[in-house]
Amino acid sequence: MAIERAAICTLAVSLFVTAMSPVVCAQQSGANQNSSTGQQNQQTPPPPPQNKQETPPNNLPNAPSSSSKPSLSDLGFGAEETKPDPKRQALLDRRTHMLKMHQRMGLITTIPMVATVVSSLGAGGRSTDRTSRDLHVALGALTGDLYGITAYYALRAPKPPGIETKGPIRFHKAMAWIHGPGMILTPILGALAFDQKSNGEKVHGIASAHGPVAIITAGAFGAALLSVSVKF
Amino acid sequence: MNVMIRNSIFFTLLIHVAAFGAADRQWVLEQSTLTYHVSHPLHQTEGVSRAARGKGACHEGQCDFLIAVPVESFHSGDSNRDLHMVQVTRGAEFPMVQVRTQLPETLAGSETIHADLEIQFAGQTAHYKQVLFQMTTQGNRVHISGTIPATLTEFKIDPPTLLTMPVKNDVPIRVEMIWRSQ
Repeated sequence: MAIERAAICTLAVSLFVTAMSPVVCAQQSGANQNSSTGQQNQQTPPPPPQNKQETPPNNLPNAPSSSSKPSLSDLGFGAEETKPDPKRQALLDRRTHMLKMHQRMGLITTIPMVATVVSSLGAGGRSTDRTSRDLHVALGALTGDLYGITAYYALRAPKPPGIETKGPIRFHKAMAWIHGPGMILTPILGALAFDQKSNGEKVHGIASAHGPVAIITAGAFGAALLSVSVKF
Repeated sequence: MNVMIRNSIFFTLLIHVAAFGAADRQWVLEQSTLTYHVSHPLHQTEGVSRAARGKGACHEGQCDFLIAVPVESFHSGDSNRDLHMVQVTRGAEFPMVQVRTQLPETLAGSETIHADLEIQFAGQTAHYKQVLFQMTTQGNRVHISGTIPATLTEFKIDPPTLLTMPVKNDVPIRVEMIWRSQ
């Protein structure tokens, strides 16, 4: 008697499992829909119970059978993640364009900046050569103008919302807090020093900070440039 | 009588097992690490994503796989570079990288596989033939690793430049995946 019950149970389990099998389901579905067209087959409903676990409930009528190729919607990505966003792309394009200009102008600025530092050797101290001082002023002015353009592109470049700044760019930005004020202060102190020197005076007072401020500014600018160019 | 019933049980179980054996198998991507490598004269950079999702559906001895990963999920440790990567790969317009492949189900126990890959990325589709992957099976889990020899030109991506120097065209993508069968 017990063996008979076991046999019935086994048969029941077997039938249940067999019914759950997609192969058998597919065969059953094929047998039931002999007269249906292919299109109707696609609209015909409920997918095998096995597939219900794989697809979101709102997709049930279109749920792929286990025999179909997986699609992006099967992977569970949200619509927001897979939707094209042309506005964001345009914003990123503009940002990249402006930062490329920033990079290019920064590199160009480096040339007169180095030349200004080099020309300072003949412009200050005991030297009375006016030509050297004028050259130093001209190079400094050019550096200041190019620096202004470089800064403009960095400051005006749009930043997409929700982006946390990470990596060497943080150091690059931190350096701007040194070379930015330095690029304002250096020419002011330079103008004071130039006047004192032109009047035959020895550079004194706050004007004597022109040299050190300029060196710190140029150093911070160089460090900012290297931080995004060379991996430390 | 008992012998008949026993035979019946045995036969039923046999049918049951056979039905199960013939059933379509599904694979789900459980874990993954995808790493792209970019070479520049001044830099060697890697961007890593662990956000890939994948599924494989087997039918009549063939398994169709789809793996997808959001472009923005790759992080290199530099937010500026990552934003530039998304821009240059048109990642806002084409936010997903999709990889499709078809493999015979019989490969399940192999140590290596050569897969033909179709990759949709940056609005382009590229095909890679016979990409070698190493495979380790543990129970119902399969660990797959390999490198996809991707290049920028195949996806019509302008090579980004740093200090006017462009990055190399080769951008190999290291793949580490753990698949689970269902």
